[in-house]
Amino acid sequence: MNRPRRRVAICGVGMKTAAGTETKEVMDALLEGRSSAAPVEEFVERDLAVTFACRVPDFDTSRYLSLRESRQMERSAVLAMAAALDAVGDVPLETVAAPERIGVAVGAGAGGLTATEELTGEYGSDPGQMPAFSVPRTMASGAAARLSLRLGARGSALTYATACASGTNAIGEAVQKIRHGELDVVVAGGVEASVSPMVVSGFARMRALSQRNDEPAAACRPFDVERDGFVMAEGAAFLVLEEWEHAQARGATVLGEVLGYGSNSDAFHIVAPREDGRSAADCIRLALDDAGLAPEDVGHINAHGTSTVHNDRAEARAITNVFGDSGPPVTASKGVLGHGLGAAGAMEAAVTALSAASGLVPPVANFGRADEDTAKLDIVAGTPRKIGKLPALSNSFGFGGHNATLVIAP
Amino acid sequence: MNRAELAGAVRTQVALVVGVDEEEIEEGTDLREKYDIDSLELMEIGTRLEKVLGYRFQVEDFMHVRSVGDTIDLLQEQA
Repeated sequence: MNRPRRRVAICGVGMKTAAGTETKEVMDALLEGRSSAAPVEEFVERDLAVTFACRVPDFDTSRYLSLRESRQMERSAVLAMAAALDAVGDVPLETVAAPERIGVAVGAGAGGLTATEELTGEYGSDPGQMPAFSVPRTMASGAAARLSLRLGARGSALTYATACASGTNAIGEAVQKIRHGELDVVVAGGVEASVSPMVVSGFARMRALSQRNDEPAAACRPFDVERDGFVMAEGAAFLVLEEWEHAQARGATVLGEVLGYGSNSDAFHIVAPREDGRSAADCIRLALDDAGLAPEDVGHINAHGTSTVHNDRAEARAITNVFGDSGPPVTASKGVLGHGLGAAGAMEAAVTALSAASGLVPPVANFGRADEDTAKLDIVAGTPRKIGKLPALSNSFGFGGHNATLVIAP
Repeated sequence: MNRAELAGAVRTQVALVVGVDEEEIEEGTDLREKYDIDSLELMEIGTRLEKVLGYRFQVEDFMHVRSVGDTIDLLQEQA
């Protein structure tokens, strides 16, 4: 017997990004195409190969955490907690659903890696002196565990690590759990605290990062002919996902709906995307099929658009493969937000939901001129594009060939 | 190190872990009752004191302390 599929509503959004720590601030920066990249003093002083990044500005953590809690948590857990609590807002989750029906899904590329880096620097030569909090501060699942503790969520609290697709996979897998009836509410998103000397240098050594140290704000230029790499970002974004009828019954404000999810792998190379973008195209088709939509139903695409030569070429080919030469408008948030690795997909899902709901697509920051491959895309450049309230795609294509796409409807 | 200096060091580390002002912590303060300190936090205070003071505690002994005063007694016993 076929039962109607459970639908998934988006009932809250929270973001902590370099472009702002409130949702409206972030959207304003995106609509203005204002990059949040800036020099990092420590990187300049140490004369690193890349001396800039997108860092979350200081915010009042006491709104979210006691001093005691924040001392036990490393930066990614703090960022995740703040964004997740923003998404949850003023209605306590325990009044929304039974604790065992509430879950947590966190995408994290590196987990507590920067905290590990700090500990190694301080205690590497004398591990016997390590603090007792070392393990709880650095474990990859730390942020998810902290969220379930704070939210009293006794459903599954899972961490997804699929490199730069982590945040998208976390949201997509959470959607599946709600559809399958395992959970009614999931606080789902992604986080990364990746602006550290070793993480940035590691990516710089493989030439993945833009080297425009003199012009940080112009460095991330997705799909532009002069792109030369991505810009490291930290941050977190979380959505409150809730079974549709459940949200309606309690009179929740519904910001949008996750209509579809696709996830697959290139099985091609440990960091490079397939040149022809074939698996990425398949991933987009999986998401559209799951949503029950045809390509022409899509109002806009929030591309992965990292600003690396290889990603943007492969993604342009993937989009053209699915949509032909007259596809929907394409935006890419990384021109403003930078690349938040495991957080990126969640940030972009949040942006996609808000763009779809407003019918206004932000431009790709720094986009000037296309190259042979990206010329086939309808890139939103300069000013926002008014398109009306239509379903949209959010793509994430991670190192290792992890592909994930969400379809989000207003 | 005399008792007052040890008390200062213990209060500093307890305050850091519990997230309160040092002034709030007195020698007789019951750490479990007042701050609901758990065993992980107690171990964190212990590991921090070991680093600052250059001591080594027996873990089993440290798990039994209840107050700043107990901790100082233990430090003096083991010094």
